Amino acid sequence: MSASTWLAEATAVFVKEWRSELRTRYALNTFGLFAVTTLITASVALGPASLAPVERASVLPVLLWLILLFTATAGLPRAFVFEEETHTSTALRLAASPGPLFVGKAAYNLALTLALEALVVPLFLILFDLAVASPGLLALALLAGGFGLALGSTLVSALISQARGRGTLFAVLSLPILLPLLLFSVQLTRLAILGDAPGQTVEALLLYDASLTVASMMLFPVIWNP
Amino acid sequence: MSARLSFSGISRRFGRKRVLEQVAGAVEIGQVLAVSGANGSGKSTLLRILAGLMPASSGTIEYRLEDRLLDSGERRRALGYVAPDLALYESLTVVENLRFFARLRGLPASAADDAVARVGLAPEAFYGTLSSGQRQRLRWAWALLGRPRLLLLDEPFQNLDAAGEALARRLLDEHLENGCAVVASPITLELPKVHERIHLAG
Repeated sequence: MSASTWLAEATAVFVKEWRSELRTRYALNTFGLFAVTTLITASVALGPASLAPVERASVLPVLLWLILLFTATAGLPRAFVFEEETHTSTALRLAASPGPLFVGKAAYNLALTLALEALVVPLFLILFDLAVASPGLLALALLAGGFGLALGSTLVSALISQARGRGTLFAVLSLPILLPLLLFSVQLTRLAILGDAPGQTVEALLLYDASLTVASMMLFPVIWNP
Repeated sequence: MSARLSFSGISRRFGRKRVLEQVAGAVEIGQVLAVSGANGSGKSTLLRILAGLMPASSGTIEYRLEDRLLDSGERRRALGYVAPDLALYESLTVVENLRFFARLRGLPASAADDAVARVGLAPEAFYGTLSSGQRQRLRWAWALLGRPRLLLLDEPFQNLDAAGEALARRLLDEHLENGCAVVASPITLELPKVHERIHLAG
């Protein structure tokens, strides 16, 4: 398959996903509702003044990534689960090549994740009156962390889509896949808030993303093909 | 042009239950292979195996197109498939659905427009609003995208009214000029150019 054909297939999947989402607004509404609810709850309970300055850089990055994680997991796993639930997976299996299909779905999940971050992070910074000493590093943490979150969720969605007990399986499989990502992302966000040198955390996060990309591209055809 | 599907020794078990046992058959251009049997006899399972949607417990399947043997992935993407469990996207229109799948198969948008026109559906109707008979027409249009040489048809006239069935039969006739088909049905259908019949006892 030529690169242009491959790219055209992936683009077709990405466009189809967005077209469906903009009409049903399932993920966007879920994200919006979940994100605003958790942000307001957290800000009321732990508002700007309730944390000692020394605790803020430790606690708030964890809180931010927990909000992002749980909001994302409310919508991202639908990528392949939805295809099985609506029986569209048969047509998709008969028409799509595994590689472009996975990339199209993952790109859609990444776009959703970045949209989620664009909604949550500014609100989070305002509600907690949080100053970020190194905004560039925070952007990198959000981009690389969001990439891993989107990719990992897409892979787990493919893994669980044909299984029973998907909710339980998603949690069980996500733990080993997303836990290292979250730890690196939280650490990098903390360093960005403090303005400290990132050390090897950036390399670790990027290496994790690269490993997850390679593993996903190798695993998905095995998962997808009967 | 040439296309030939042949299979032999196809067996399939679900746990301890044997659904298919040593099924064999072949079909080539201009021919129909008719598969019949009661509900639960394994007709749909056989077609899913032939389509590459489900692995057989044992047996071999060969699909040669222009004298080239296709692997299971290539076979999946090179055939047309009509079956009750085939659904398209409810939030997309008829033509958007077909254009999406046309792009996945490397076909121009005009192939999708042509397929919609052949089955007489309103292009801008949403799949979610179609009746069961209209959905069956759309399955036919989907199967004929890019005019594949091989059609696997599982209960191809299900839910169709008289006009719809006449249309589907005409499409099958046209297809058989340059292609072949495996047709599964619980009743013995009157079909053109039947080369071989397989009855599954279940």
